[in-house]
Amino acid sequence: MSDFSGMEDLLQDFLTEASELLSDVDNKLVELEKRPDDKNLLNVIFRGFHTIKGGAGFLNVDALVNLCHRTENLFDKLRNGELKLTPELMDAILAATGVVRDMFGSLSQSRPPAPADAALLTQLDDALEGRLPSAAAPAPALAVAPAAGAAPVAASASHGNQPDWVMLHAAITGAPMPAAKPASAPVPAAPAAAPAPVVSAAPLPAAPVSVPAVTTPAAPAMGLKPAAPAPASKPQPAAQQLAAQETTIRIDTNRLDQVLNLSGEIGLTKNRLTTLRTDILNGKTDSTTLKALDEAIGQLDLLVSDLQNAVMKTRMQPIGRLFQKYPRLARDLARQLGKDVELVISGEETELDKTMLEDLNDPLVHLVRNAVDHGVETIEERIAAGKPPKSIVQLSATQVGDHILIEIVDDGKGMRADFLRRKAVEKGLIDLETANSLDDKQALQLVFMPGFSTKDQISSVSGRGVGMDVVKTNIQKLNGRIDIHSVVGEGTRFAISLPLTLAILPVLVVKVCDQPFGVPLAMVREIIPIRSEQVQEVSGRATIVVRDEILSVRSLARLLGWQETQTPQFGVLMQSGENSFILAIDSFIGRDDVVIKPLQNIRPRGVAGATLSGDGSVVLVLDMEDLLEDNQSDQSAIKTSQFLEMLSNKA
Amino acid sequence: MTDKNIRFLVVDDFSTMRRIVRNLLKELGFSNVEEAEDGQVALHKLKSTTFDFVVSDWNMPNMTGIELLKAVRADPTLKHLPFLMITAEAKKENIVEAAQAGASGYIVKPFTAATLDEKLGKIFQTLNK
Repeated sequence: MSDFSGMEDLLQDFLTEASELLSDVDNKLVELEKRPDDKNLLNVIFRGFHTIKGGAGFLNVDALVNLCHRTENLFDKLRNGELKLTPELMDAILAATGVVRDMFGSLSQSRPPAPADAALLTQLDDALEGRLPSAAAPAPALAVAPAAGAAPVAASASHGNQPDWVMLHAAITGAPMPAAKPASAPVPAAPAAAPAPVVSAAPLPAAPVSVPAVTTPAAPAMGLKPAAPAPASKPQPAAQQLAAQETTIRIDTNRLDQVLNLSGEIGLTKNRLTTLRTDILNGKTDSTTLKALDEAIGQLDLLVSDLQNAVMKTRMQPIGRLFQKYPRLARDLARQLGKDVELVISGEETELDKTMLEDLNDPLVHLVRNAVDHGVETIEERIAAGKPPKSIVQLSATQVGDHILIEIVDDGKGMRADFLRRKAVEKGLIDLETANSLDDKQALQLVFMPGFSTKDQISSVSGRGVGMDVVKTNIQKLNGRIDIHSVVGEGTRFAISLPLTLAILPVLVVKVCDQPFGVPLAMVREIIPIRSEQVQEVSGRATIVVRDEILSVRSLARLLGWQETQTPQFGVLMQSGENSFILAIDSFIGRDDVVIKPLQNIRPRGVAGATLSGDGSVVLVLDMEDLLEDNQSDQSAIKTSQFLEMLSNKA
Repeated sequence: MTDKNIRFLVVDDFSTMRRIVRNLLKELGFSNVEEAEDGQVALHKLKSTTFDFVVSDWNMPNMTGIELLKAVRADPTLKHLPFLMITAEAKKENIVEAAQAGASGYIVKPFTAATLDEKLGKIFQTLNK
């Protein structure tokens, strides 16, 4: 079915590289709006389109070549000062980049993209000729573009009439001309590399190309204020189309070399061990042999953990790859809503496991949209509140120990706890009593409940099917955590904390009923001994006060549906989101870095998978969220009376 | 017959394009190919190892193809190196500029193995004179 047979590899490479390039161009465009005269920016954008066009030419994607060619020419004129950037022109350019992205989308499914909408092409052509309303340069003399440079035919058409290089070269340099001059002009032969894909001119019915309706704005001169909501800018679902998971990855060769080196060294150590085994099997068990064995195993230990790290590093990708899509997203949305928002990005170089990066996209898109849509106020509201008209949304990533912290901070109106409580009650998500028992911090968590939406109207912006509850679920799937901090009138901060990788999970191995279990270390705050005098009763439940914090005690045995066989000796102070509690256990073994193997065919409640401990026994790794979800009610919360009774038995 | 073992340096900032050119050269039987991602890197490579042929894109960050060409022609050890310029435009002023800077040939994207072969052939022909 594919029109790109024989070129899939090349196409894949092109799409990966060109998509990165396009995202970069998108960001540069957002910057360009602020600094329309920056030559350097204009140059970089020009080169971006130029490069994409060049690659597309080789893949015979004419639709892409045509579009990029026009955009490139526009930027050529912009950087030469022949044209002046106007909001109308900017809209046309942004629309064009959107269409380019759509074309990448259909190419990624090996489908030749439909040609760009004629209206858009006409608009770009008009702009090139200086005919776009208010797009002409201020000096009238320059407004009429010189025809020579203006309309080189689409690049694909240009091979036929190349000049005779040798003649020209000779003429200019005075070099001797080759005697027998090959007369024939270079006729492009069918590419031998691959069958030439035929790009159909008719729009394919299935091609998901959405051409944003770009109408020529009637407004005369609008000035360069991005704040004015332009009629032409439409939300572009294009970014979503690229969400299809990439199956290739680009790795720094140094990292790959390191993997190779280590595997070589492991091979050498294995040889050493094989020799030692032969020796030992032959009865050679003197101290020198055993010492050598000890050394070899020690070395293997080190090498294997180095190899694990090195392999993990090959999967690490800078989060900037994700972040770079968002300034454009925020800009488009802000314009549509008539807000003035700047998305400030930092920590792009922070690295994260590739699979996590992909799964993080949807939640982050949602949070960024949310910050622009709900978080920050309109320009008028901001002025009334005595704030600067422009709102700043900060998106940052940092590595904190073995965690990655991603924060989305806005300087908007903040979240009002009382409003959230009322809303949740109105929606019937919680009853009034529960609502009143929530403190302000807990009330903020209400937004994560399924079915909670504070906007009465579902706008085109929100209501995309991904609610905050889905954001939270997605983050939790990545073994991460999301917290909200909000100050009314000052802004809101969403903090996402993620492990560096999902491949290796640090766990605390605890014991209950003589059975070891792994508990994700990410949730463990501390381990405390449980003493009867500390236990207090709060509304019939056993609690322990740890540094002024009242924490309920939950028995792991009961969470698992068992009966305690002995009195819990230790409590593991667990934190899951904003929710902290003490997990009562018999004893603990220690921390371990484990690789989780999913259980096949069966999925016991609350079990994420199994792993092998050092002595070869199977340890079940617990999925605490799952375990807690089914046990929201009383059954696992130990009744104080029972608990005290148990403790006295122990005494 | 051309020596198929001659050493090429392909210069382009877009890795996909380098791969395309490399594939086309391979198709023509030239498999001794090195890559550089811009003029600066290329110049460094040219100075540290021996190459027989440069195929360079025009439009690149840091150091463009034309700047690279001028630097090559200005270097006494490199100035005889055949230099094929790749570009997306067939504009006259570009061609003149490349010729004046001393390009051995000029090829417009997109091109096929056959076109490349022809361009190389012409350059080799001139060299062997």
